[in-house]
Amino acid sequence: MTDPLTGPLLGRRPLTNAVVIDAHAHLGSYARFFIPSPDSDAMVRVMDRCGVQQAVLSSHLAIAQDSQDGNELTARATERHPGRLLGYIVANPHQDPQGELDRWAGHPAMVGIKLHPDLHEYPLTGPGYAPVWDHAARTGMPVLTHTWAGSSYNDLEQVREVATGNPGVRILAGHAGALRSGYPAMIDMALQCGNVYLEVCGTYLTRHWLEQMVRTLGPERVLYGSDFPFIDLRYSIGRVVFARLSLAERLSVLGGAMSKLLGQRRLDQEVVP
Amino acid sequence: MSVPLFDVNAMIGRLPNEPAGGPVDTLRASLGRTGVHEAIVSHVRAWKHDIALGNRLLLTELAGHSGLYPCWVAAPDTCGEFGGADRFAAAALDAGIVAVRVFPDDHGYRLTGPDLTDVLDAVAEASFPLLVDADQASWDDIEAVAHEHPRLRLVVCTVGYRTMRRISGVLARTGNVMIDLSYLGTHLAVEWLVERFGPERLLFGTGTPRRDPADAVTRLMWSELDDETVAAIGSGNLRSLIATPGGQRL
Repeated sequence: MTDPLTGPLLGRRPLTNAVVIDAHAHLGSYARFFIPSPDSDAMVRVMDRCGVQQAVLSSHLAIAQDSQDGNELTARATERHPGRLLGYIVANPHQDPQGELDRWAGHPAMVGIKLHPDLHEYPLTGPGYAPVWDHAARTGMPVLTHTWAGSSYNDLEQVREVATGNPGVRILAGHAGALRSGYPAMIDMALQCGNVYLEVCGTYLTRHWLEQMVRTLGPERVLYGSDFPFIDLRYSIGRVVFARLSLAERLSVLGGAMSKLLGQRRLDQEVVP
Repeated sequence: MSVPLFDVNAMIGRLPNEPAGGPVDTLRASLGRTGVHEAIVSHVRAWKHDIALGNRLLLTELAGHSGLYPCWVAAPDTCGEFGGADRFAAAALDAGIVAVRVFPDDHGYRLTGPDLTDVLDAVAEASFPLLVDADQASWDDIEAVAHEHPRLRLVVCTVGYRTMRRISGVLARTGNVMIDLSYLGTHLAVEWLVERFGPERLLFGTGTPRRDPADAVTRLMWSELDDETVAAIGSGNLRSLIATPGGQRL
């Protein structure tokens, strides 16, 4: 019997039978390398090609340079593609994080908070992030943080510290540590911290590590994300689709788990065809 | 539509830094799961331990496995390890090798300069494509070799997503450089490169076992390219590349 996920993919047809939510997306140009067509229209076109219903994004401008202008860009993209694109509010400790959280608190499509300690050269455990943990605890917004094994800003030990210190906040570990050397320890850490979710985009992650994550943590704690248009959306979705996991597990990773995490916020934004 | 996929970049043998790789059956299972049934294969042993031994093991282990075609690893013969470039190429032809791979950085030499040049000439003379990973030589060296050896067909493998500015320049200034897509994760890059340079400069590859073949398979299958272009990149271009001047090598 043809697998309902790999069958369409190998037949070059988009998925039509799965709720797929990209938990880690961006938007726009990035100075360090050329990205063809990084605009929101092209992003939604790629989502349609694959059968991805929704993507939650933070603009490259917001993470790389100016959170105020960048969050504006994020919000405009969500308004241009209602129900398809949702937004993370980028909180940069150097750029009035409380002000940005307050500014976007009432925007219906801004459904989470994004942190990038490496780019902002500020440790995840620093006091500048205090408004983030307060805001997330009050609103239930998930917090997606960049992680990188061995980083002095967002290594797994820093994730552990903020997860332990803020047990009511759901923390999404972006890239799940990003490096092969970091995956086992990140999985162990998430096993000990029930409010940590592992998001799987990145260029080093393979089926092996994805399967380890799901078998250790359960499929509701592992989230599909692509990082697109930083990296093409199609690179990390395939490893979920082809993983040696049950259909139910793959569906959970592709979107079921993120749907539960976003809860009513996502439903408010859902476009019914 | 079922698209035949022919992988330009695969290896057998265990990797030392992660629980991936293994014998032929492991590679077959990994590729087959994602719809890939043909591959050009080198041996990790030749990359990581002993070039000559790894090349011999490759032939032994691939024997009888249809659809998997051997690719030897080469290096300069400055220390007399391989009996000279011409003997290496003749032995490769006798053994049914379809491509040659080099690891200049890991094996301690330069792609350019006098040490490897007779190997490159012999490889070109035998009509073997030369595979080199993007992290094994600079783009300047790759371009220089492409110009100095115009009959040599260079396949740059494991090209990362941050390299479009370099790739585009080298493709524009050369006609004998091709790109393996196993690691080219730049958003919409495949479509952009096809539009600018045509599909004939691109080859489907997975990078197995270093990479998950699902990445490259999904990228190509769900591309915005038409079926004919996908078939060319997926297998046709590689089949043409490894054909001998007198006909098909396979």
